[in-house]
Amino acid sequence: MKTRINPDKCIACATCVAYCPVSRATPKFLGPRMIGPAYERFRLLDLPEDESLTYCANCKNCDITCPQGVPVSSINMLARAEYSKKHGYSLRDWVLAHGELQARLLRLIPARLKNFGMQNPLTRYVLDKFGIDRRSPLPDFAPQTFRQMLKKTAQPDLPRKVVYFPGCFIDVYDPQTGMDMVWAFNHAGYQVISPDSFECCGLPMVANGFWKDGEKRARNNLKELARWRKEGITAVTGCPSCALMFRHDIPDFYPKIVDEFGMGLLDDAQDFLAGCVERGELKLDGAPDLPEMKVIYHAPCHLRAQGNGLPGLGLLRSLKGVKAENANAGCCGISGSYGFKKEKYDIAQTIGTELFEKVKTSGAAVAVSECGTCRVQIEHGSGKKAVHPVTVLRQRFEGKTENA
Amino acid sequence: MSRSTDVIVAGSGLAGLMAAYAAAQKGCRVKLISEGMGCLAISAGCIDLLGYDSMGRRLQDPWQGISLLPEEHPYTLLGNENIKTALDAFTDCMAARGLKMHAAPLDARPVNTLMPTIAGTLKPTWLVPADVAADSLEKARRILIVSVKGFRDCRPALIASQLSRYPELAGKDFDTIVLPSPFEEHGRSLNALDLANMADRPHGRDWLVEKLKGLGQKYDLALIPPILGARAGSGIHKIAAEALGCPFIELLSVPPGVAGLRIRDALADALASLNVEFYENASITGAEVKSGQCAGVKIFSAGRETLQTAGAFVIATGGILGGGVLLEQGKASEAVFGLNIPVPANVDEWSEPEVFGRHLVSSLGVAVGADMRARDVSLANVFFAGRTIGGYDQSAEKSGHGVAIATGWRAGALAAESAQKASGGNI
Repeated sequence: MKTRINPDKCIACATCVAYCPVSRATPKFLGPRMIGPAYERFRLLDLPEDESLTYCANCKNCDITCPQGVPVSSINMLARAEYSKKHGYSLRDWVLAHGELQARLLRLIPARLKNFGMQNPLTRYVLDKFGIDRRSPLPDFAPQTFRQMLKKTAQPDLPRKVVYFPGCFIDVYDPQTGMDMVWAFNHAGYQVISPDSFECCGLPMVANGFWKDGEKRARNNLKELARWRKEGITAVTGCPSCALMFRHDIPDFYPKIVDEFGMGLLDDAQDFLAGCVERGELKLDGAPDLPEMKVIYHAPCHLRAQGNGLPGLGLLRSLKGVKAENANAGCCGISGSYGFKKEKYDIAQTIGTELFEKVKTSGAAVAVSECGTCRVQIEHGSGKKAVHPVTVLRQRFEGKTENA
Repeated sequence: MSRSTDVIVAGSGLAGLMAAYAAAQKGCRVKLISEGMGCLAISAGCIDLLGYDSMGRRLQDPWQGISLLPEEHPYTLLGNENIKTALDAFTDCMAARGLKMHAAPLDARPVNTLMPTIAGTLKPTWLVPADVAADSLEKARRILIVSVKGFRDCRPALIASQLSRYPELAGKDFDTIVLPSPFEEHGRSLNALDLANMADRPHGRDWLVEKLKGLGQKYDLALIPPILGARAGSGIHKIAAEALGCPFIELLSVPPGVAGLRIRDALADALASLNVEFYENASITGAEVKSGQCAGVKIFSAGRETLQTAGAFVIATGGILGGGVLLEQGKASEAVFGLNIPVPANVDEWSEPEVFGRHLVSSLGVAVGADMRARDVSLANVFFAGRTIGGYDQSAEKSGHGVAIATGWRAGALAAESAQKASGGNI
């Protein structure tokens, strides 16, 4: 990891405290300023860790709001990794951090059976005892993974190529959104390559303290990306958390891997598509005239943290007949695996309340967000269907309408 | 679809938000680029216009003080009409979101209100919540100071003893009460925001109403820390006043700034409804300038450098603390364009021994003209706002939010005009 982060950059202004979703939901969490830069001084003295460190959701609102550029969440994740190394790992956290691995092990079992196995009340009771809250919205396994579906799809033979990093959520639970992405790229004149060798981006592992596992994934993925970079093919992802891991966290946490393979600069797929529109490769005026549709957009925290604006919202607003409202209601609460944990479920729901209310009262046909787990949480909290921006794009072109 | 925009505003403090609001209201597409959340998260939430004159005398009428300010002061450059227009735009925006603020009248004439703080001091300020009268504290005889157990920043006994030292408040009866904590167990001391967040939720509101019920019956006034909700327009103030049975004033408090967050909440809501694009966590590393015009600002974030182009730009990146003004030994400069800010070579002259005095560093910033453009440089489509501008000392004169609103609004409006002209009126 990088040389230790200097906690003295923090001037203790408390801006991060004002914007920390967890801190605002519960006083059980010391808050970003205290558990991050302030507590770092105790860590440097080898004093015991404060337990409330586990309440940090790694949503990165502290980093977004800090006026002094203190990487508070990185301080927390480094501390969590060290704490886990010293005090051992919980099996529950291992399970939540390694969804990709379990999906691979369970690949041969049919989805219906897997889902019955996972979602029946008895399993949910056992999982609840095990620390995965029984009320939490565990997503269903899809019958086929995205990459299995892609292999069976005949893409048009296009001269331009793009490498697509689907991310575990799309690959395992929501391949249809991945196929919508493929449709959009094909439409813009790009053939999609999604190599089998891509693994989990590693962010859930880092967030749960499994530092070495995150490192292993980073090495493998950066190696694969370097290969495509050499061929001059752009690599993109539609998942903000994967993009954040590649662009921000890997260089911060595993700089040696970056030294070896170069930066793994995954582009934001929505930004890439907006570029296609700008260059005239993707023609939006080709869409049919449909009745006006109102959508409500939620900006995932991990997207906001990247300093690249909200290209997905821009894309939505450029669609004929689509009225996109920015919910601007902060964090949804789920933070990847956080909101599934028994001791965090209620906190996650409290955090999401403002967003759920906005979605419920918006009069929108559908909620839209780039992040898979944000979508799961929005559907769970508001009862409103939530889709990825690229799904709206495809629906508007194919003349489908979403029912409110 | 072009990803270039009409107006880029750099900075998300009060000045930047007001600039974005002004430009968006004029029909411009606006991108608000920010690194950090700006000052409102730590603000006490009242709007200072001018609290003290250059001799350090407290002003009852800020406009009288403004008429005597030096010519390089942002207020003098703008003129009273522009300041008033900006303040009106601000109060209208707040009122539309349920956050009514006014300059409280005294004998039918609006004046600075002396607001009590959580440290037991009095501070002159201009825009206060609309239900606060300028003389409510002076007029009240029996005053109740309320706190909550575990809320260590709010010590009623300290507040009472400090306030009693003011001649204006001599002879008042102060009583104190500490409400039990609504939280079962927690690992840290509570702050105002914890309690305000709780009051935003139904069970928390019920708790507050139950605890406040009838407390004020024996009193003319209650002083309450800012715990009555952190969202704009929550309606909790009205419910609390009814429960209390006497008028109340929310104390100006230390960070995290609950009342400042309400303002930010309202402004951000206004910007979102005007489709302003939020571009967060991005540091601006420089700008591309061609023949006296800024073509774009360079942004570096998460391993990506981009040039963000627009027709016009507002620079509201803050002062020294906010990163808008950079200091080196014997040298000061503006951060985005590298504009030189003249300073004495001898660093000893930058400050003075008296901590609460007027320090040169406090008023360091870009010298602008009445058009909010930098003087002595050719940057036709760049406008400056807020603490990035020099010539005023917000701490000594208590004018921070007032200057931010006035210059932010003006710079945003001028940037919109400039962008419209550049596009040939196609906005």
